[in-house]
Amino acid sequence: MLSRPPALGAQSEDLLVTTGEAGRVGGRLVASWHSEPKTANPAIALDVVSKELITLLDADLIHINLATQRTEPALAKSWAVSDGGRRYVLELRQGLRFSDGQPFDADDVVFSFNLYLDPKVDSPQRDLLMVGGKPIKVLKLGPYRVEFDFAQPYAAAERIFDGVAILPRHLLEQDYENGKINQAWAISSAPGSIAGLGPFRLKQYVPGQQVVLERNPNYWKVDAARHRLPYLDEIVFLIVPTEDAEVIRFEAGDLDLLEKVGADNYALLEREGGAHGYRLFNLGPGMEYDFLFFNLNDLSAKHLPEIVRKQEWFRRREFRQAVSLAIDREAIVRLVYRGNATPIWTQVTPGNKMWVDEAIPHPARSLEKALELLRLGGFTRRADGTLTDSQGAPVEFSILTNPSNAQRSKMATLIQRDLSQLGMRVNLVSMEFQALMARAFDSYDYEATLLGLVSGDADPNPEINVWTSTGGTHVWALAEVHPLPPWQTELDSLMQSQTALLDFAARKAAYDRVQQIVAEEDPVICLVSPNVLAATKAGLEGLEPSVMRNYLLWNADRLYWR
Amino acid sequence: MMRFVLSRLTHSLMVLFGVSLLTFAFLKLAPGDYFEQMRMNPQISPGEVAALRAAYGLDRSLPVTYLLWVKSVLRGNLGFSFAFNSPVWPLLKVRAANTLLLTLTALLGSWLLAVPWGVWAAARHGGWLDRVSSLVTASLLAIPDVLIALALLALALRTGWFPAGGMHSLAAESLGAAARWRDLVWHLALPVLALIAGLLPVQIWHVRSALLEVLDAPFIRAARGHGIPPGRLLFRHVLPVAANPLISLFGVSIGTLLSGSLLIEVVMSWPGIGPLLLQAILERDVYVVVAAVLCSTAFLVTGNLLADVLLHVVDPRIRAM
Repeated sequence: MLSRPPALGAQSEDLLVTTGEAGRVGGRLVASWHSEPKTANPAIALDVVSKELITLLDADLIHINLATQRTEPALAKSWAVSDGGRRYVLELRQGLRFSDGQPFDADDVVFSFNLYLDPKVDSPQRDLLMVGGKPIKVLKLGPYRVEFDFAQPYAAAERIFDGVAILPRHLLEQDYENGKINQAWAISSAPGSIAGLGPFRLKQYVPGQQVVLERNPNYWKVDAARHRLPYLDEIVFLIVPTEDAEVIRFEAGDLDLLEKVGADNYALLEREGGAHGYRLFNLGPGMEYDFLFFNLNDLSAKHLPEIVRKQEWFRRREFRQAVSLAIDREAIVRLVYRGNATPIWTQVTPGNKMWVDEAIPHPARSLEKALELLRLGGFTRRADGTLTDSQGAPVEFSILTNPSNAQRSKMATLIQRDLSQLGMRVNLVSMEFQALMARAFDSYDYEATLLGLVSGDADPNPEINVWTSTGGTHVWALAEVHPLPPWQTELDSLMQSQTALLDFAARKAAYDRVQQIVAEEDPVICLVSPNVLAATKAGLEGLEPSVMRNYLLWNADRLYWR
Repeated sequence: MMRFVLSRLTHSLMVLFGVSLLTFAFLKLAPGDYFEQMRMNPQISPGEVAALRAAYGLDRSLPVTYLLWVKSVLRGNLGFSFAFNSPVWPLLKVRAANTLLLTLTALLGSWLLAVPWGVWAAARHGGWLDRVSSLVTASLLAIPDVLIALALLALALRTGWFPAGGMHSLAAESLGAAARWRDLVWHLALPVLALIAGLLPVQIWHVRSALLEVLDAPFIRAARGHGIPPGRLLFRHVLPVAANPLISLFGVSIGTLLSGSLLIEVVMSWPGIGPLLLQAILERDVYVVVAAVLCSTAFLVTGNLLADVLLHVVDPRIRAM
């Protein structure tokens, strides 16, 4: 899709020329957010909506193309790797300007990275920029050349630059030096005080109502016909608090697109779409997956004797495998997602084409095999059908869910029915999401939980905290029992080693093994990956829908009205 | 009169204090906090989450946090939103104004409808028109507010007569003052109708029963016997006496309307306190929740205060107490 720009004059900008069909300039696109963006400051943005806004206002050095899931040049037009993968020297585009007209150079890059890495700023970006426990070193080699040094070879080094917004030093240096960077660029700030290198700039924010973006006249991409991108004059985001209200406003003609809709609303749009000429997108499984997990934490420091007793069952591989075999994933797909989901048996979804291990078996639901596994694990069934453990105690446990996620609540009910066919008695406990998080992450006062995870990137590296025993998102055993089970030791070793493997095939083999272990040992029982469903009005062109966020707007600079 | 108002004001302040303490305690004692949801993000380490908690003072105890908050309120600062990284008051004031616009319009509309409707129903007490009126109001009362709002949205969608949500059209910025005003009224119509539909039945019943009670009183029968015309009897003698329970209801109806309006605002995308409060509760943005609840309580106690003062003015028996 993208190519290097042709040679330009000394004073001209080093623009990126996109290939593909040239679009039509002008027009306004109206989209929506469920909540307001909280900030336009990339150093402190935590919520999804603020991050989505920032991707439209700012740009990064190397970008991940969400259609191909591979990296491509952005503000850095090229780069060279040396010192066995520890050193990256990036050549920046010359002659570019921020949206306020001020020039961009290596000082802005060094300023941005140093700001994100400053512990006093507490930027959520900081963890991403730590490799081997040490911060990346950033060095200016020239006005348009920057060196990045990593403490160890880092396989996903190029991807680390994606999403790290380059900030205008001329606007933020003062705030940073005065220790006020966290107060800068609140969403209510004057639009003129915010500048970036993204395709749009902030034009208006009306609290509770809308955010209006206008095209950045200094954007650094042009199409094949040398028209400066973006094509759209404006993007308006209306604040519409619920998905149902969003769909109503889409049908009423207020909204031009729905970036993501649930299965029920998608079915409604499918029924009514023909008459209205909507374009519906069923992009297949995304990067999100739902899973069930049992409490395998070391509870010796907690006073939870009942859960400790049940952990005798949960720690048995046969028990977890039997539960996995007894769950009817196809029924979840059919009844919860109206067929718009894909059953999964490991953590990498089919949407992650580069990393999914196609060889992972997809065993069909089998109560017979599940009962056989339970028998091998020391469980027996009484004449009345109740499953009991080796002490004769009936197998009964509770699953926590959050009622704010309707799909997960339905899923829990189906799992309850499925497991009752093994003689297990499952109780469903609904609780508000934050309270559920507190139980899963702090008190460990739960038996089993149903949750979902969304991979932020196709690459395995962001998942390291999920699969290594010391990771902060190692949900099923944040406090591991020692010695570790052999499979967990192997997971730790594989996840650590793959970060430094520069050869893709070797890395893929290591991560395939991780997927195999997850499928065999079931530390979390992966269930389904919902399809990404979206809709637009007819006439919107240039779309390259992605299964990763922002599904339709990731290439907003190339969208246009026919 | 002044002493009465001061006493009611003191009472209102105590209510606000109690509400703030309870809201604060419930939110702080509930498990989890604003940063809890970040624990599911594999790209943010537990150390980073702990640092953010400390930076925003969430690692402090409930009494310390509450006292610090009260101190900042006394300095005119309602607290700080973790989510918006901004003081709460600027977030709240715009939305509170939108909520007030919606609720006061609905309140005015509902009373303008309820009084004549109630009088009309009372005048036809026991007749078939009164029965039809009771059936209509009972049906309205039985239908949940959300269902009414959704039905109105469906009407907007099918007919295109009204907007399907929001407060202004996208083109409103470019309109003149009069056209902008018409645009606002057009957008207000459905949320106001939804609120009125929820409030109206109770108001009509109260007006009707207050009037019936007075119409049956011996002094009215005597006045009627003296040949006073029905219109004069109604406006000069019946309505002033029937006003007392209606004034009390007026105060209560502000509270009812506010709680109803929060839901209607979310369903109909009205940019009031409702969507902000909902989001803040889900995210556990403590100070926004406390301030929004306080704001709603302030509306309610102001309504009650107004009702008390009005009662004090119109009823000599209360003045004598």
